[in-house]
Amino acid sequence: MYGVNGKILEVNLSTGVITKKMPDDKYYRQYLGGRGLGMRLLFDYLPHPGIDANDPSNPLMFMPGFFCGFPFPSMSRSCMVTKSPITAPKHKKYPNASTVSYSNMGGFIGPEIKYAGYDGIVFVGQSKQPVYLFVEDEQVELRDATKFWGMGTNAFDKAIIDEVGDRRFESAYIGSGAEKGVRFGSVINTAARAAGRGGTGYVMGTKKLKAIVVRGSGMPDVFDHAAYLSLLDKSRLAFGADSESKTNWRYGGTANALQFSSDRGSQAVKNYSEGTFAGIENINAHAARKQVWKRDFACFSCQLACKKSGFAKGAYGGVVHEGIEYETGTMLGANLLIDNLNGLHTLIEAADDYGIDIITLGNVIGFLMECYEKKLIDASYLDGIALVWGDVDAALQMVHKIGRYEGVGAKAARGVKFLADDIGQGSADFAIHVKGHELAAWNVQGYAKSFGISYTTANRGACHMTGGEINGQHQSALRDTLGACSFASSWYKGDLHYRHFIQVLNGIELSEEEFNLIGERVFNLERMLNCREGFIREDDMLPERFFKDAYTSGPQQGVVLDRDEFVTMMDDYYTKRGWDLKTAIPETATLEKLDLAFVGI
Amino acid sequence: MAINRKQFLHGLMLGTGGAAIAANLGFISTGLYNNKSIKAIVIDFDKCAGCRTCETICSANNHPVNIAGLQLKGLGNPELSNIRVWHYNPPADVPVTCYLCADAPCVEACPVKPHPETGRKALYRDETLQTIWNDRDRCIGCQSCANACKEQRGGVIFPDEEGSPTSMCTLCGGDPQCILHCPYEALSYLEITDSMPLRNLSPDLLAQKLYEKYYEQKSN
Repeated sequence: MYGVNGKILEVNLSTGVITKKMPDDKYYRQYLGGRGLGMRLLFDYLPHPGIDANDPSNPLMFMPGFFCGFPFPSMSRSCMVTKSPITAPKHKKYPNASTVSYSNMGGFIGPEIKYAGYDGIVFVGQSKQPVYLFVEDEQVELRDATKFWGMGTNAFDKAIIDEVGDRRFESAYIGSGAEKGVRFGSVINTAARAAGRGGTGYVMGTKKLKAIVVRGSGMPDVFDHAAYLSLLDKSRLAFGADSESKTNWRYGGTANALQFSSDRGSQAVKNYSEGTFAGIENINAHAARKQVWKRDFACFSCQLACKKSGFAKGAYGGVVHEGIEYETGTMLGANLLIDNLNGLHTLIEAADDYGIDIITLGNVIGFLMECYEKKLIDASYLDGIALVWGDVDAALQMVHKIGRYEGVGAKAARGVKFLADDIGQGSADFAIHVKGHELAAWNVQGYAKSFGISYTTANRGACHMTGGEINGQHQSALRDTLGACSFASSWYKGDLHYRHFIQVLNGIELSEEEFNLIGERVFNLERMLNCREGFIREDDMLPERFFKDAYTSGPQQGVVLDRDEFVTMMDDYYTKRGWDLKTAIPETATLEKLDLAFVGI
Repeated sequence: MAINRKQFLHGLMLGTGGAAIAANLGFISTGLYNNKSIKAIVIDFDKCAGCRTCETICSANNHPVNIAGLQLKGLGNPELSNIRVWHYNPPADVPVTCYLCADAPCVEACPVKPHPETGRKALYRDETLQTIWNDRDRCIGCQSCANACKEQRGGVIFPDEEGSPTSMCTLCGGDPQCILHCPYEALSYLEITDSMPLRNLSPDLLAQKLYEKYYEQKSN
């Protein structure tokens, strides 16, 4: 097959056996790579529903997108795929029921896996000792990682280069948080890029796998070499032509959205009780440019450079780390009423060093701040921390408690649903999660049709990247499958539609409809994996807060989501999807259309 | 048999770091070669975002393939590139390619006797563009050139499996493609002058200087 390596590396951590497997051609035609191919393999690796995410048999996959390694602009993302250690249905059919989980990251690790000759790396089993996987083309070894266990992500990022002795190796790893049992442990690369969501780093920790370290020298052959070169030129030129979008991404990255979102009342503020943040100008992209950011960084073959590195002086200064983004700036800033930019920078650095998901972290701390303010808990519950809104030091102490899995941190490390069960007293109403997975930095009031649907119907539990519109959800799944960055998606239209790239690489000719069908297939396969675990319509529910509490300021002030309107919206969604209205399980006809009839419940 | 690539790199990035830095500090970058000024790829480290587009461009242009009788550019495998972007932590990206050093320690180190007619060693300088080339037929694979570059300059020469040097910049025959395609306009093709202090240095030392500049840090 062209455009792919045709090989998946399977590593059994219990036995140490390493196998190179060749997936059926049909898998590539129907699922391509990345998230899609990962989900198809996940179905094969999970022989029945109800398998505990902690169980050695739960596979953990590093899946480079289909385009990874080819230097088309902004197509270097890879996807972690596993069964979620976080989510649960309201009514459990199996004690360990959970959804699928996936999480994306950019950088250079995806292309490097492809250069080494693999379309993915799948870990099964569980090692007795900490290990890391060393891959240099055909040479694949599990190596002892005892001396690295407990190391923060920043120190490890440097130490692993010393260990392998070649700066061209790319690595992805977990921090000490995931090792110790923080459920929302993430997978990190380059000390700052994170596959943050869904607990994939935690699953890696249960396997005692510290890292993968990869170096490759090859590249798969392509189907139509001349057309490949022409598309490559055209795509590079297209990015040059739209200089305004490019300039915006370079200027502020996702942090541009901090001001934008606050202004339109769509930001997560004060544990989602508000949509606009009074202190936003102190932490927005302009402030970061002025005070903190030093350099712009790009992923492999990307022209946007949305990643920043920061360094500030003065109080909370002296920390070198990636600058704020929309999600990190909102979740540890606006959502906690923190508007001290240097303090925020320090909080982000601490969280990334433990390797924990900042979106969930901001939820957990925000939830506890609200509980503390409402006197549902006192400082003794918080190991003596006076966790008041806007207090950087208190928030930082909580980050350390969670990262070290100590005291209240060991509870908070299980997420807001666990905390609400523990604290009780009606706190569940403002525990902001869907299916046990916390919402991201985009708030819901006034935006229920987009973000409300995105959060309730996303297959990994609440997710802001899924989208509220059905075709948009397919496009999102396709981008994760192709390794295409969503920030660059506006360039890939018309003559530069993704399907043309698939054609020159692999030879598969897809109409736009057939292309979209792949996204629909991936999304429905995930849904079916969830349904067979026992997830049904009642689990596609927003937190109670959004049906009760109105914002007190900003453009969405006074808006409260109407329950009937929500039900109608969801009815409409399920109908359009071809899912049963009562159970929200895909209908047989829908599954047959997508060649998914093999997935039973 | 030659040491393998990995061992070579180990020496480049870590083992000889101290020696390389010391050797580099006293080096004066500019100079004339046979009374001609040298024009080479110059890197603006402030602009580079580390995307490695230059590697894929260099690879595609310098490693064409024959497809059905047509010579086409390669796919762009970065492994084959003559320019390399080294990533550092704290975040700094350091592209390095052949500096076309006026005193060319690599050519100096080549032990092969000059050819009686051309006067060239196995490793030699092209008189038109002043780029460095290797005559494979005469190369003995001793890696002296690669070691000299590693110890005294940027470490841009990589021995292949037979020990022969690779990765010297070709300037794409006088029209360097990397500078045309760099999305960040970080590369230029310029005459070398004294006002270019960050030339002829090892990646480690360059990273060190960037840490100091951006993060006020003395060490990594």
